[in-house]
Amino acid sequence: MKPIATIGAAALLAALAGGMAAAVAQAQRGAAPPRPAAATAATYTGPRTPDRKPDLNGIWQVLGTAHWNIEAHSASEGVPAGFGVVEGGTIPYQPSALAKRNENFKNRLTADPLRKCYMPGVPRAMYLPFPFEITQAANHILIAYEFAHATRTIFLDGTPHMEDLDFWMGDARGKWEGDTLVVDTVSLGDKTWFDEAGNFHSDALKVVERFTPIDAAHVAYEATIDDAKVFTRPWKMSMIAYRRLEKNLELLDYECAEHVYEKLFKKPGSTP
Amino acid sequence: MKRSIAIAGPLLAVLLLPGSGGAQDGRGAAPAGRGGAPASYPPYVRPASTYVPPRTADGQPDISGLYVAIPLPRGIETPLVPMAGRGPNRANSEFSYSLNERPKLPEGAIARPVGVDPPDGKIPLTPEALARRKEIIAKQEKIEYLDGRVLCLAPGVPRTTIAAPVVGYQIFQKPGYVVIFYEQNHLYRTIPLDGRPPLDPNIRKAMGVSRGHWEGNVLVVEVTNFTNNLSNNWVIGAVSATPGVPAESLTTGHGIPHSDQYRVTERYTPIDANTIHYEARIDDPKVFTQPWTIAYYAFARAPKNYVPVEYACFEGNDKNLLLMTNTDVTGVRVAVP
Repeated sequence: MKPIATIGAAALLAALAGGMAAAVAQAQRGAAPPRPAAATAATYTGPRTPDRKPDLNGIWQVLGTAHWNIEAHSASEGVPAGFGVVEGGTIPYQPSALAKRNENFKNRLTADPLRKCYMPGVPRAMYLPFPFEITQAANHILIAYEFAHATRTIFLDGTPHMEDLDFWMGDARGKWEGDTLVVDTVSLGDKTWFDEAGNFHSDALKVVERFTPIDAAHVAYEATIDDAKVFTRPWKMSMIAYRRLEKNLELLDYECAEHVYEKLFKKPGSTP
Repeated sequence: MKRSIAIAGPLLAVLLLPGSGGAQDGRGAAPAGRGGAPASYPPYVRPASTYVPPRTADGQPDISGLYVAIPLPRGIETPLVPMAGRGPNRANSEFSYSLNERPKLPEGAIARPVGVDPPDGKIPLTPEALARRKEIIAKQEKIEYLDGRVLCLAPGVPRTTIAAPVVGYQIFQKPGYVVIFYEQNHLYRTIPLDGRPPLDPNIRKAMGVSRGHWEGNVLVVEVTNFTNNLSNNWVIGAVSATPGVPAESLTTGHGIPHSDQYRVTERYTPIDANTIHYEARIDDPKVFTQPWTIAYYAFARAPKNYVPVEYACFEGNDKNLLLMTNTDVTGVRVAVP
């Protein structure tokens, strides 16, 4: 890669570097990395709740770089390289949608909804570089995310999705299939992205997630993405969620909105 | 096209901030302080509960479930000036309640402001904190002085337990923890019960750091380590302050930022299978001359058809802030790791 001799505006430089990373990622597609084998119901021997479901209570985090780019990518300024989490390597965009994604990528430093402190949506909330905490009951699973105190309530009580409302974090209804928690999320709207690289969806998005515990400290996480307005077919991302085992760990804050006001109030003459 | 409820927060702010009604209900038997005489109420006595909740699998008193806020019958503070001309408490009559029956106070409960100690019902501000409060109330339509709840900041404790436009609370219990999901601004708290040590004072959280234990059937929670990077985060507050009312005469609790020494002790007392009484002792030696206490019947088991929904506050609040404070936040971007 040819070094850039002239240092321009930081944002421009970052955008250029990112563009080259995209080109490299393009060239690397086709060689999907091997996936860890997901556990089956027969293999899970970890702890269980009183109603005999795998016990997911606790603090978890996905490692890796999907937050920056869910497709395979080389490193760029501030962005670690990554294998990608998309099964098959490439997101099956419709041509016009691919153009839109590339436009998003160019504008990502201002256009990424996360930089406006909006809730991350699903599945992006799951692989942000922040932990999340699961609270598990018989009829509900709550997920609290450290980023912007986003939350989800997954209803396991057999109730149907609500109609005529959109939610940043979607409307999640789940069920256990053996030892796998299957969560069906709809009504996600069209304002969230999958990552910082501009991968996006429409309001037709439906996400089916599968949480398959491998052992007490690992869950195989898969999300099937179905959006006929943007993609040519449903596609899947998969990754591992790791249980955080540090003693006395608790979620801390990334109160994103606070940082917006901190920036705002630092303007000369505006500090009370 | 689907509706979005992301504008619920801004809508509230627009409705409430400019000249909204005060916090006094005007009904009920308790003295209202009309004619210039200070209102007075009987001394506060903690409710004695004989109710024994069922037990969770790990032996905690089981208070889990979906609750809604019981509307405050009065505001926060006992008024010291005549209250004539003040309208009903709008904060407690809007939004979620419009779809559901508003839960009522338990039989025999006294309708009173929630500030119960000191007995005069006034927040014991230091002279400096009172001066600060006056300044904030006078300038509250500038964004730097605006109510943090209107900015969509996490309101902290106990303010998140003061009835808000959306009123649902999901209380869940897992071994070693009580977890509260607030419908208001999708806030949450995880309260460990395992006696773990406090966090380093350098770690601050908008909702504080909670440490809980059960005293019989009462959940007691010590909350410390609150953020104090923005003075918009106030200790408490019901509806927005009424323009023209001097800070000494407010009944809403508004305009009191806390210091780094702020701490709260909460007591959640299950009264029966449907009702939880709430008490919070508030201490901050840099702001108050003495600790003070609020207490009220806070949570009622939600109606069967009540569904908590996402309350997206900050998302879309930019237009509201522009309208209210003439501040454009649309261009501000925040680094995400």
